[in-house]
Amino acid sequence: MTRAGSHPGVSRRGFLQGAAIATAAGALVPSLGCARFLRRGNQAKAPARVVPTACEVCPNKCAVLAVTEGGRIRKLDPNPASPKSRGMLCARGNAAVKSVYDPDRVKQPLIRAGARGEGKWRTASWDEALDFTAERLQAIKDAHGPEAVVFSSTEGFQEEFFRNFGLAFGSPNLLRHPTLCLASVNLAYAMTFGTVPSFDLLNTDYVIMSGANRFESIITPDTMDLVEATMNRKAKLVYLDPRFTVTASKADEWYPIRPGTDFAFILALLHVIVGEERYDREFVTTRCLGFDELRAHLEPYTPEWAQGETEIPAADIARIARELADAAPRAAYYAGRRSSWYVNDFQMRRAQAILNAVIGSWDREGGIVPDSKIALGELLFMPWDDPVAPRVDEIDTLFPLAAQGDGIFLQARENVLAGTPYPVKGWMVYKQDPMNSLPDRGRTQQMLEQLDFVGVIDTQLSDTAWFADVVLPESTYLERLDPLHSLPGIWPVVVMRQQVVPPIHDTRPNLEIMQGLASRFGLSDYFDFTIEQWVEAQAEDLPVENPVEHLRQHGVFAAPGAPFYGSTRKPEHRFFTRTGKIELYSQRLADAGHDPLPVYTPPAQPPPGSFRMVLGRKATHTHAATTNNEWLAELTPGNDLWLNPQPALKLGIASGDLVEVSSRVGTVRLPARVTEEIRPDCVFMLHGFGKLSRALHRATGGASDADVLTTAMDRVSGNAAFHETFVTVKKVGVDRA
Amino acid sequence: MRERLGIRAKRYALAIDTRRCIDCQACVVACKAENDVPPGRFRNRVKAETKGEFPYLSASFEPEQCHHCASPSCVRVCPTGASYQRTDGLVLVDGDDCIGCGYCIIACPYDARFFNEQTRIVDKCTMCAHRVDAGRPPACVETCPTRVRTFGDLEAKDGELHVLLATRRSQFKKHESGNGPQIYYLL
Amino acid sequence: MEDPRWGILIVFYLFFGGLSAGLFFVSALATYLQENGSPAYPRIAQFGALLAPWPVAIGCVLLVFDLGHWYRFYKLFVTVEWHSPMSIGAWLLAGFSLITLAAFWSWLPQGFVAGLVARLPRRLRFLRVIDQPWRERLRRPLAMTGFPFSVGVGIYTGVLLGAVQARPFWNTNLVAQLFLFSALSTGCAALILILSLRGSGLEVGEAKLLYSVDITIIVLELFIVLPYVIHGKLSPLSVQQALELIMGGPYTFHFWGIFFILGLLLPLCLELWEMRPVLLNRSAPHPTRALASVSAILVILGGFVLRYVFVYAGQMSSFE
Repeated sequence: MTRAGSHPGVSRRGFLQGAAIATAAGALVPSLGCARFLRRGNQAKAPARVVPTACEVCPNKCAVLAVTEGGRIRKLDPNPASPKSRGMLCARGNAAVKSVYDPDRVKQPLIRAGARGEGKWRTASWDEALDFTAERLQAIKDAHGPEAVVFSSTEGFQEEFFRNFGLAFGSPNLLRHPTLCLASVNLAYAMTFGTVPSFDLLNTDYVIMSGANRFESIITPDTMDLVEATMNRKAKLVYLDPRFTVTASKADEWYPIRPGTDFAFILALLHVIVGEERYDREFVTTRCLGFDELRAHLEPYTPEWAQGETEIPAADIARIARELADAAPRAAYYAGRRSSWYVNDFQMRRAQAILNAVIGSWDREGGIVPDSKIALGELLFMPWDDPVAPRVDEIDTLFPLAAQGDGIFLQARENVLAGTPYPVKGWMVYKQDPMNSLPDRGRTQQMLEQLDFVGVIDTQLSDTAWFADVVLPESTYLERLDPLHSLPGIWPVVVMRQQVVPPIHDTRPNLEIMQGLASRFGLSDYFDFTIEQWVEAQAEDLPVENPVEHLRQHGVFAAPGAPFYGSTRKPEHRFFTRTGKIELYSQRLADAGHDPLPVYTPPAQPPPGSFRMVLGRKATHTHAATTNNEWLAELTPGNDLWLNPQPALKLGIASGDLVEVSSRVGTVRLPARVTEEIRPDCVFMLHGFGKLSRALHRATGGASDADVLTTAMDRVSGNAAFHETFVTVKKVGVDRA
Repeated sequence: MRERLGIRAKRYALAIDTRRCIDCQACVVACKAENDVPPGRFRNRVKAETKGEFPYLSASFEPEQCHHCASPSCVRVCPTGASYQRTDGLVLVDGDDCIGCGYCIIACPYDARFFNEQTRIVDKCTMCAHRVDAGRPPACVETCPTRVRTFGDLEAKDGELHVLLATRRSQFKKHESGNGPQIYYLL
Repeated sequence: MEDPRWGILIVFYLFFGGLSAGLFFVSALATYLQENGSPAYPRIAQFGALLAPWPVAIGCVLLVFDLGHWYRFYKLFVTVEWHSPMSIGAWLLAGFSLITLAAFWSWLPQGFVAGLVARLPRRLRFLRVIDQPWRERLRRPLAMTGFPFSVGVGIYTGVLLGAVQARPFWNTNLVAQLFLFSALSTGCAALILILSLRGSGLEVGEAKLLYSVDITIIVLELFIVLPYVIHGKLSPLSVQQALELIMGGPYTFHFWGIFFILGLLLPLCLELWEMRPVLLNRSAPHPTRALASVSAILVILGGFVLRYVFVYAGQMSSFE
């Protein structure tokens, strides 16, 4: 034993210990180094499992490859197999992952426990919730007839089942969203060409757009094609908008047109093109009807007159008309998508359609092209009887030309509120948020409050669901198998939406919800199939081996031989109009008491001291549906009021100040954004904010345009007119930032 | 020697055509999803600027992220060697070696780096190295609706990127930084 | 940068690092200057050496806990990244800590050590080794070895900032010098403060040494700050804009009011006042406790605020 403190040298034991440590270190260090070298080398990670499906965040249905890892959806990649979505995925499509895993999702059926809108809920099993719904619906049916229940929905792959249930239930009151969106433009083109065409922007040389903010409001194939056209083909883009939007910044010419006067601009273009004989004579004489009447009709609509209306110089109007005609057939006046603008919107779009017709770009490459569609099979099932009662929105008498299947949404609401032509006591909503999509939210709320029963099928507790009696949670699109969808277009495709992960909560696809309800009404026979059977039947006739397997693997079936041009230019082709020709002059319109040729009416003007409220969208949100999405809310957490510096100065408003915006139906408060990017006579607020539902914890910013918008409708199509609202603006607070 | 053996070193770079950029933020969200970027932090951004007075206005949109510089100051200042550059040019952070001192965050002239509160190390655009090494484009490049971005190997003489940069003029951001940034903003 | 990555912990670390460097430098100087074979200023030497290890140790602890993963700090010492000022600095700190701890040990009073050893519990008996009679003989060699390390620690904090070309507020050669001199000055001031408050206050010889050193250093600092500003104004736009942060921007008062006037000019005046007998009639100064401590506190405050301004303003500056 040696004493501590007197080691003359190193003991053997110590030596061995030291040697062991040194060896270990000697082995460890290079192996750490090797680990580091490998770690920093090739870092490839192959995706664990990839499932093709179709996006549902907006109506475009882009093809998506869903990547999952350990049972969780990790990322959504674009699927290059779809020529329709052209191998891209926008911000919303990418963000959908966060909607699936949103903690604010409705995780199981909810039944109202307090007063309507109070926000008190109790969870229920599916059986209980479906029993409850069925009882209430049956009670209304017994007391007032099936027509006393309205079934409203927004487009989606499973919407059909909802509507079928409504029909089987016996209600004539099926409402859809087009009269809050594009009913006017669709009807205008349908009345002219017999169909609603697509625009071949990929091959265009000249495009005029009114307000269709294709580079900002929604990212569609048209967005991509327009970029390619303007960048590669050097196509010219002329854009009219009271706001300097992203599209305005990319356009070759932007005109801050006086709102509501695009109609005058189009008529003046027609005046020049027809007057100077720049139209497609051959096409007009052989395929169109009413050209002589048109020529006479256009007399007074000179560029000078249009300048007075639009504030666009007459010389520019004339020049643009000539350029458009010269560029034809690779030229078009873009129809737009959301056309819910003014009460004369239908006639404005009619003028557009007529313009597109006379320049002869119909069904030509680079022009406007009728859609082709891949035919799908059908699962045959029991038909039901037609409903007995007339529709509550009086569409036959008030808007006889409008699409019956869609109904007139605002008229329905007004009639339900008034109790005419008969009382409506119940409202079933699928995949829709009328509280935010309709103008004058106060009235919508009033309507909901006066109903005996409101049932909502949705994935989140929207504002409409907030005022419901029962919320039946549907599984998100990534959690379910849907019917196949045939996307019409110049490059038609069939897309499959299949389940990526099983439902993570106690939610069900809509078909199962409808089947649950149907069984309680003895209507099971109408839904006696599985979704797999439905899909099989649809896919049966597709010209590919093992079509369902093909779709499951690739997600998409693209029509061979696309793009398709010219099929309607064959001399024997009969247009789907009453006369079989393209109707520049429409007798049908005349018979219904409307102008057979578009007659200009100026828009109502805001009273002095007030502004016109214009609306729009942004690439980061789909209407009011995505404001709770974590990633999208991070980028766009709220809205503000755009105000030009001139009026802002007069009102003493600086950017960031809290302002109060008042119309004759409501008032909202939100921060101001003083910007040069808008006309002095307009204000703008982004749609989709100001939520009432306190269950949406991220969607707390901004204010709702629905609170201030007044109710107005286009006279022919019944489409909502959202830009007819006038507001006053007042400062109420200072920006403390 | 490498040339004689036919081993050509890659040099990855990114070309951005800002004329095409519409500030749709698809690249930002795609990156978030692909790389678990924490809330409030971004590996890439789009700088949007509008100028002028009504009605004479113009707007520009410029995507920004790590430039994977040829002479990266972030690698130079790293005290543990966690910040490193591969032979193909990608500048990366070794998650095991990073101590989170933040020197590289401050040293970057492009403010491309940030401290990731969840992983507690420094984070930035990796040009999706895990995808690139598997032969796929970075998430931002793949997802862009208007084809703003072209990613590729500068050394591949017939590659899309090389041809693009040979036939279009381009410029760099903060050229005076001396870092030799490798994002080419096409003019 | 959106939000500054380096915050108040780093400011404290830079300040404490400089303080320790300055303390040891002055102590080493006092050890070096001999009179009849022993240090001419024993109290300065001893206090400096006893205090030197501790501020930087606290600073290092703060630093370690500012890291993303604090336990990973050891990774700084498994490699030398020659191109990284932080890596070099870490090693310098390691060396500095070892030397100053050894110097601390060497300067502990014998009575104190003996008493400590006598009271050791059985388990800690092995600590008796600290009581070595040859401790004192290490003092001078350690001081000599420690000089370059203290200069290194004092200057590297400036190099850390100065080497960052992305931050125009920092990217100048002068920052390293400025931080070094500020470190030495705070070290001096700390010793002035402690010695004035102990017992009968500063001795004449001590006052002469410390005041002379400090006055020289402060004047040198003036000759760095003024060129920094003038040169910066004549530099590219980014540098000019960076300077705006202290010329009208949010840090103007901190820099000029606290650091420059309170931390440099006022102490300079006070110290010159204290030294006026030496300067005017070549007679001995009579240091007053009040003026000495006030001047010292101001210098220390100024040193802290200097680093505060640099850390925060620097992260706000960028090339545009």
